[in-house]
Amino acid sequence: MGYKEEYHPLPQPDEVTIREREDAMGAYMMMFAAMAAGLPLPIINLIAAIIYYYINRSKSKFVHFHSLHSLLAQLPTSILNAGLIFWSIRIWLFDWELSDYFIGYIWMVVFANLLYFIFSIVAAVRARRGRFFYFLFFGRYAYEVVYRVKEEAKSVSFNKPPGS
Amino acid sequence: MKLTINRQESYSRGELLLRTLFGVFYIDLPHMFCLAFVGIWSSILTFIGWWSILFTGRYPQSFFEFQVGMYRWNVRWMARFYNLADGYPAFGISATDDHTDFQMAYPESLSRGKLLLKTFFGIWYVIFPHIFVLIFVSLWASLQRFIAWWAVLFTGSYPESMHEFNVGLIRWTMRINLYMGFMTDDYPPFSGRADDGEGSVPTPAPAPIAEAPAAPPPPPAAPEPTPEPEPTPEPEPTPEPEPTPEPEPTPEPEPAPEPEPTPEPEPTPEPEPKAEEPASDDGGDDAGADDEPKEEKPA
Repeated sequence: MGYKEEYHPLPQPDEVTIREREDAMGAYMMMFAAMAAGLPLPIINLIAAIIYYYINRSKSKFVHFHSLHSLLAQLPTSILNAGLIFWSIRIWLFDWELSDYFIGYIWMVVFANLLYFIFSIVAAVRARRGRFFYFLFFGRYAYEVVYRVKEEAKSVSFNKPPGS
Repeated sequence: MKLTINRQESYSRGELLLRTLFGVFYIDLPHMFCLAFVGIWSSILTFIGWWSILFTGRYPQSFFEFQVGMYRWNVRWMARFYNLADGYPAFGISATDDHTDFQMAYPESLSRGKLLLKTFFGIWYVIFPHIFVLIFVSLWASLQRFIAWWAVLFTGSYPESMHEFNVGLIRWTMRINLYMGFMTDDYPPFSGRADDGEGSVPTPAPAPIAEAPAAPPPPPAAPEPTPEPEPTPEPEPTPEPEPTPEPEPTPEPEPAPEPEPTPEPEPTPEPEPKAEEPASDDGGDDAGADDEPKEEKPA
């Protein structure tokens, strides 16, 4: 009973329009934004995901969820990629020596990107089918943000005369 | 695809000079600055749309509408850049304009084969052939724009053929963009002519209409009036070609020999008002109004 009151009901696949599905799928495809824009900077993906989120979050809860989900899931890899770029530039400018830490970091970044890529594709496919997919931490958080019934929505405010 | 840039009855000389001298600063640069970012976003959506078409056979509708909005914005701006329309072009994807319009029907499905064809061979069978022709067309168009600039300056009117030609050039390039942007499967024709009969249509419908009907309109109406038997009771030929309402029942009673020589009423404009007006209530353009009283009188 309490669960039903706190969260909006999830739409079932047959209730999601094709347009919503496509918009939701597009959110995950923002990981290709840098490639599409011809600027191989990880920040481009992040900016694209943020723009996409703000454009689409008002369309429907389904699209809102997937846009936010995609944006949040992109944060770790974007930060890791940005770190790799800065570290690489630093080595290129100053050290000219590849430390074991750096090589280990590269492997970690590659692994993280691979994971992100695979799961994003899976999420995109499921979104296109009108279904949900939850990443490890971000899925739950996005669900909370989008589908939890806000206190503001529950509370009804009344206008009162002065002095009351 | 429907692209229209209305040819105005009169153009402002002041705006023409203003655009020529300062248009770069107050029209082109602001719009190009915004369109550059919109273009980056558009390229991202095109890239994603490509994958979407490949796997689902559909261009995401939201993406498609964004692209159409961007092209519409481009058309608004280009219309001013080429002096084809007055006024300041509106900013924004969803903005509209009184002088220009661009519409594109959303394709429910797109061919994956053609998608790959465009991607890998589009430059050979679309870009190169069209660019080759467009180089010459553009040269001719730029010459026409130069002449039209002076025409507008001195007469306040943009020569219609030149206007149509320049709109056609924009339409042509737009079709190529749509095809190579994977938004349609229809190969762009080597022409800037409009598809559905739309084109640069004069905006309002003022005086010049009186001149135009003199020559062209009669031909289409001429073939139908032959069966009309009713003119016989009236002394005058009652030339009206329009009374189509009762074609089948009437021809039987009256033989057809006489009416044919008399009709052939091509020069319609003059006889109408003088001869026919007294019979009917108002001398409007409605042929049906003439028929109705005839039916009522016998009753």
